[in-house]
Amino acid sequence: MLSTRHLLGIKDLTEEDIQLIFQTADEFKEVLNRPIKKVPSLRDITIANVFFENSTRTRLSFELAEKRLSADVVNFSSSGSSVKKGETLLDTVNNILAMKVDLIVMRHSSPGAPHYLASRIPANVVNAGDGTHEHPTQALLDAFSIREKLGDVAGKKVAIIGDILHSRVALSNIFCLKKLGAEVMVCGPSTLIPRYIRELGVLVSHDVRQALSWCDVANVLRIQLERLQVKYFPSLREYSLYYGITKAMLDELDKPIVLMHPGPINRGVELSSDAADSADHSIILNQVENGVATRMAVLYLLAANR
Amino acid sequence: MNLLFRSARILDPLSPFHQQVLDVWVENGVIRKIGENLPAAPAGQEIRAQGLSLSPGWLDLRVHAKDPGYEAKEDLYSLRRAAVAGGFTEIVLLPNTKPVAQTKESLGYFRRFSEEQVVTFLPAAALTLGCDGKDFTEMLDLHHAGAAAYTDGEHPVWNADILLKSLQYLAQVNGLLIQRPEEPTLTVHGQMHEGTVSTLLGMRGIPAMAEELVIQRDLRLLEYAVETFDLRPRLHFSLVSTGRSVQMIREAKAKGLPVTCDTAAHYLAFTDGDLVSFDTNLKVMPPFRPASEIDALRAGLLDGTIDALVSDHYPQDAESKNLEFDLAEFGISSLETTFATALTYGNLGLEKVLELFTTRPRAVLGRTPVTIAEGQIANLTVFNPEEEWTVTPADWKSKGRNTPFFGKTLKGRVLGIVNQGKSTFYHVKLGV
Repeated sequence: MLSTRHLLGIKDLTEEDIQLIFQTADEFKEVLNRPIKKVPSLRDITIANVFFENSTRTRLSFELAEKRLSADVVNFSSSGSSVKKGETLLDTVNNILAMKVDLIVMRHSSPGAPHYLASRIPANVVNAGDGTHEHPTQALLDAFSIREKLGDVAGKKVAIIGDILHSRVALSNIFCLKKLGAEVMVCGPSTLIPRYIRELGVLVSHDVRQALSWCDVANVLRIQLERLQVKYFPSLREYSLYYGITKAMLDELDKPIVLMHPGPINRGVELSSDAADSADHSIILNQVENGVATRMAVLYLLAANR
Repeated sequence: MNLLFRSARILDPLSPFHQQVLDVWVENGVIRKIGENLPAAPAGQEIRAQGLSLSPGWLDLRVHAKDPGYEAKEDLYSLRRAAVAGGFTEIVLLPNTKPVAQTKESLGYFRRFSEEQVVTFLPAAALTLGCDGKDFTEMLDLHHAGAAAYTDGEHPVWNADILLKSLQYLAQVNGLLIQRPEEPTLTVHGQMHEGTVSTLLGMRGIPAMAEELVIQRDLRLLEYAVETFDLRPRLHFSLVSTGRSVQMIREAKAKGLPVTCDTAAHYLAFTDGDLVSFDTNLKVMPPFRPASEIDALRAGLLDGTIDALVSDHYPQDAESKNLEFDLAEFGISSLETTFATALTYGNLGLEKVLELFTTRPRAVLGRTPVTIAEGQIANLTVFNPEEEWTVTPADWKSKGRNTPFFGKTLKGRVLGIVNQGKSTFYHVKLGV
């Protein structure tokens, strides 16, 4: 049993919760490799994927996870906040719940929006990304992929490289990796590193080569141009020259490192194509595959906690 | 209006009866007699209560009126009831209404409403047209129409030249300029104090520096105005929230600069750490700061650097608060809990708290002191400083229910007020 009814953030999970999710995901990953990739576990459950922000892969990954578990699935997408259309978040979700929905998977641009919802509705809530706060299933699938590739997360050195300031993936990854006993470094231009990030127990670097030579795993984040309401650095050209990672840089290292990216990749900005596609380093597509198994595990365990 | 307060503790350092428990007879709005065992008053004119205490009426330097323009959040009637419940006989209204209070007609709207009523409204006029910081209002005309002060209210005066010229111009009529210090380019999209907690919550931070920078700048501008033009302009910073702000003002006062400041009582009660609940009733501007800043505020209140405690009463409707945190409006509906908040969380002592609601804010505004003595006009707050009470929606007077205190127990209960020949009591029965 998980210690929580909702998955709002990694912050709320215990290490035992995370290990339980991993063990459950191991089993579902085995299911996904069978000829019939489907189990009847959630056939009495209806899930609504409520996305107030654009998403392709996260929504698709959740939807596949739900369908592999035999849940009934409905999707609601609205770019921008529903408030702009005159309906509040609570009204929107209560309308969906009135149609007898059991579980809400929500992405929203406001930090804390799933927490707000969870305290006001009877359904379980899964946070599929809340603004610049958390993206817990991404962190779980990232850690699951590290565990799969390197055997364990504890003791590993993970560098998170890119726009840390605007990244819910970075924050959830830091919480998750620290809970599992990894060492974490964040690396990026000084204007994209939150001022108080060291207090979360992470190392800080502004030198991408230093970060690469330090780490066992480099998790490279997308430069989220759409999130930048204010100028933080001069140009993408300069960013890619000084923070972009190429295959040549990886080959220069004295040990092979694991290269990850939560997608979608800006090829030629944070990662060159030859680095992103390097079979010796990249586990980017494994992350996507593991996303479905991890989300199946989360939904399965939460449904058991209804 | 006649009232006999039986065995009331008089709390007024300006009064010869300070700290004495005596009977007080108010006749036609004037304190007629103070003494022991005064003769019984006619039926319905006598007040007896446990812990009955009398203070010169309290004055709040910072209240958002919301009427005209936002009557769903508060109108002048509900505002008056909330002020009575909070123990305030006089409240300064900010000009951020719709339309903005920037003409003598709009000041008259507030003044007429409170004429011969139990709560005196002291409207502040806008400093710049529309409070947008660009063009001056007609400050001399507004002075003659009774403006209590000049301010853009919730909006900082960001333009240094406008601020300097306003200080110069207002000095002609000894006008008080109230600045809400904030450098707006450093607070864009900010939701809460910038620190470890904002980092953990992924929320855009509001750095303490955004406030301190403006105080530093404005003190220099004030000094310049004093030295260069040989004027005594009066500058008041409202809602200081950081230790550095307090220290800069402390040093400026030591240099003899004509500067004063206030903070709101709720800044003593909450820290940025309380926002992990994403409770939008804790969303205020400036934001709640870490505990170390609260200690510095307390030190500033105790040593007199901070001149007044205010409510910064900011009523909101449910539509503005029952939302995702970053979409919710700022503010707390605080008139009714400000005194009890200061007493419960301030750790300042009752006498200090009373000073911060009476003599000090009156001095900031340049108003005549109010005192409890025979022959004085009765301007009184009636309260029990020992009573513990639970804040409930049923007793709430303001239309704005955006308070973090519902269900909480606070110390210090207001019973009612006497002012301008009128009295209103909510939590005590008038007996024989």
